[in-house]
Amino acid sequence: MNYRDSRPIYEQIKDGLRKLIVTGAMAPDEKLPSVRALATQLSINPNTIQRAYNELEGEGYIYSVPGKGSFASGNTGADEARKAELLSQVRELLAELRYLGVSNAELAALVKEEQA
Amino acid sequence: MIEVKDLVKRFDGFAALDGATISVPAGSVYGLVGPNGAGKSTLIRHLTGIYRQDTGTVRMGGEDVWENTALKARVAAIPDDWYYFLQSTVRDMMRFYRGFYPRFSMERYEALKDVFRIEEKRMIRRLSKGMQKQVAFWLALCCMPDYLILDEPVDGLDPVMRRQVWSLVLGDVAQRGTTVLVSSHNLRELEDVCDHVGIMDHGKVLLERSLAQLQDTTVKLQVVFREDREVPPPEIPVLHASRIGRVHTLIMRMSAQEAEARLAAYDPLLVDAVPLTLEEIFIYELGGVDYAVKDIVL
Repeated sequence: MNYRDSRPIYEQIKDGLRKLIVTGAMAPDEKLPSVRALATQLSINPNTIQRAYNELEGEGYIYSVPGKGSFASGNTGADEARKAELLSQVRELLAELRYLGVSNAELAALVKEEQA
Repeated sequence: MIEVKDLVKRFDGFAALDGATISVPAGSVYGLVGPNGAGKSTLIRHLTGIYRQDTGTVRMGGEDVWENTALKARVAAIPDDWYYFLQSTVRDMMRFYRGFYPRFSMERYEALKDVFRIEEKRMIRRLSKGMQKQVAFWLALCCMPDYLILDEPVDGLDPVMRRQVWSLVLGDVAQRGTTVLVSSHNLRELEDVCDHVGIMDHGKVLLERSLAQLQDTTVKLQVVFREDREVPPPEIPVLHASRIGRVHTLIMRMSAQEAEARLAAYDPLLVDAVPLTLEEIFIYELGGVDYAVKDIVL
């Protein structure tokens, strides 16, 4: 968590967890820290953390088992809103890269490189 | 659940509280803010049963607070001007608290010894101000309260201790569903720990909302229009607008999606939604209402 970050805390929590799941730092079906553990560790309101968890569940990144806790989901392809958001970010980055004189061929090469 | 309705309290004709109404849902952390003299501490003293209201109701969990010993056994409070007996040690005060709070937990008392690291045989009045406050937290948490009322609780605590006590309090909220009401001037800190906020001024509550609601319904947008404009289009309802160069900064009372959709009609070069901090929300929401309110966000 970054205290200088002006975004709402629950969004920071969401982004942090999402990053862990997407990069594979958190394996599918791995248990997330409990709301209580996170609340005491970060000194953050447990209801705020619960809200972040609920939204992540709605977006399909995690699933919860009553009485057991929340777990990372395996597939995260379902989230159309997030897809659109990321694509618009890529577009912004592309605009800046073009401004700096990076050619389309170079960009295409980059995409290929990432695939491999 | 804490419910205060139309609370009025006069001192020699001066209305310190002038129809204050708050409602704190069970298991939430409620931040009470407002300028000095707004009536925060007076309201808190009604919640702890020290003052008796002139008119209005003060209820916790559906019961009136005044002279209700059974209820008050479940309420722990840390006032801004705490009191310890002359010559008393931490252990003496613990015995005193234990006599009043039937649920006082010795197990917790022992566990918190490691956290606060204050020699329990030392005289409390010889301790520093910050350490005396730590003792207040130590004793209050041992009471296993259902309601925790804190008046400027972390003033005088060092940064490590601040996080330590918040972590203990929030752990209790998560585990036991404790309802917490906290008055503070530190909005940055409240943003982390609270889920509901109420702002007071002149003995009244001006605004009371959940933090999520506040943040979802107010948005700050940075916009660059294609053509050079002095002011944003008049059809767009803005709370506040400012301009640096070609970049307009607009504060709007709606969700980010809705605001972006409305601005898209003008085909702007750039629209960037920036979330507002609690401090900014207060400045913009209340800046026009009362100047005194502005002063709290220093």
